Amino acid sequence: MNKNDFILIGVILLIIGGIFFITTRSNKKVNTASVYYDNNLVLKIDLTLDEKEYIVDGYNGPVTIKAGNGKIKVEDEDSPLHLCSKQGYIDKSYESIICLPNKIVITFDDIDNSIDTVVK
Amino acid sequence: MKDKKYLVGSILLVIILVVTLLSRYYTSTTYTKNMYYMDTYITIKVSTNKSKDKVDKVFDKIDNLYKDYHNLTNPYDENSTLYYINHNTSNEEELTIDSRLYDLLKLGMDYYKETNGLLNINMGNIISLWKSYRDKGEGIPSKEEIESNKEHNIEDIVLLDNNKIKKTHPHIDLGAIAKGYVTELASKTLKEEGITSFIINAGGNVVVGKNNKKKAYTVGIQSPIKPSDIYTKVNVNNKAVVTSGGYERFYEYEGVKYHHIIDPSTLYPASNMQSITVITSSSSLADIMSTYLFLLDTDKALEYVNNHDDLECIIYTNDGKTLKSKGIDKYE
Repeated sequence: MNKNDFILIGVILLIIGGIFFITTRSNKKVNTASVYYDNNLVLKIDLTLDEKEYIVDGYNGPVTIKAGNGKIKVEDEDSPLHLCSKQGYIDKSYESIICLPNKIVITFDDIDNSIDTVVK
Repeated sequence: MKDKKYLVGSILLVIILVVTLLSRYYTSTTYTKNMYYMDTYITIKVSTNKSKDKVDKVFDKIDNLYKDYHNLTNPYDENSTLYYINHNTSNEEELTIDSRLYDLLKLGMDYYKETNGLLNINMGNIISLWKSYRDKGEGIPSKEEIESNKEHNIEDIVLLDNNKIKKTHPHIDLGAIAKGYVTELASKTLKEEGITSFIINAGGNVVVGKNNKKKAYTVGIQSPIKPSDIYTKVNVNNKAVVTSGGYERFYEYEGVKYHHIIDPSTLYPASNMQSITVITSSSSLADIMSTYLFLLDTDKALEYVNNHDDLECIIYTNDGKTLKSKGIDKYE
């Protein structure tokens, strides 16, 4: 093999390495939240925007969500104990809001590499 | 000259092949499934190179698993097998029950002895009495109410051979063991289907497989005082991490916190610690142990854990201190 062959192999290796790196590196942090109703995704919220209100249908009626500037909370819902509206803002990727009576679940899409799951 | 080109070509081919195989291995995709059974929100997250169809099938299998056990063990559902055992009006002296429920009852009975009677699956009446107050969020049962619901003699549960149980109208509640048991079955199902990197989070019950991206899975342990804080974390592979106490399922009345774990000796919610997190290989055992140890005082709980292999714990004491078992450092 002459010098050019090695250069060719080198260049191709670099390209393959580049593709490999791009396809396998972990997702970048994204600032979005997902809202699920009865296990189905009903709303994606961009949390980098300024705070505003979103309304989704819950089991007992409308659920009002306030979200933006990197945090999210349930503002209003119809349930016996109002646990999820009492919970207030969440802003850490491992946190979630679960409104059982309304079958609504809110989680962050952000991947926190330091913690995989939380035991309560 | 021609030979050389073949040589270069085949070297490249081998490299491309190896890289493709490697990237297939490394580009495992993450799939998530949420479910709601047994009064608990359950999340399963797997990382695998298996196809989406295949993963969906496995998820369905696990969904059915939780659903089946939910229907078997729900003490408040008139159609559940457990309700049938507790309230049936048939003339038969012996009831034949689903073998899955029979096995679960047997497990509960076995651990009654091991835990000196603290893990008692016949406490349904007193548990549902406290639950009725917890659901309201205020008040506590009166002495008279507790007195009339106190019956929890384990000998009322008589398991016979061949999946039979004697008709005695017991007050069985499997809340302390069912979730851990099913989660164990769910993790076994994943492994049998070749999915080895996973997290199952069923509220206070977490089971993880072997992390294929990092050295281990990091499980954060939520502060029982401030739900948005993680007060400590553990790094584990192929382990169950279960917390009893914690901040879920309690209510505060006149400044006192009332948990959902009722001490059979006092018939009041246990108050020896704020929470305990148990780490061991089996989720089923972890669930049982966390309930049992939560009922002990902190010294006795630590002593028990330190005397058993493959069992570690972290206790959040009533005065906010963190106590750890001797072998916990291997997970830190």
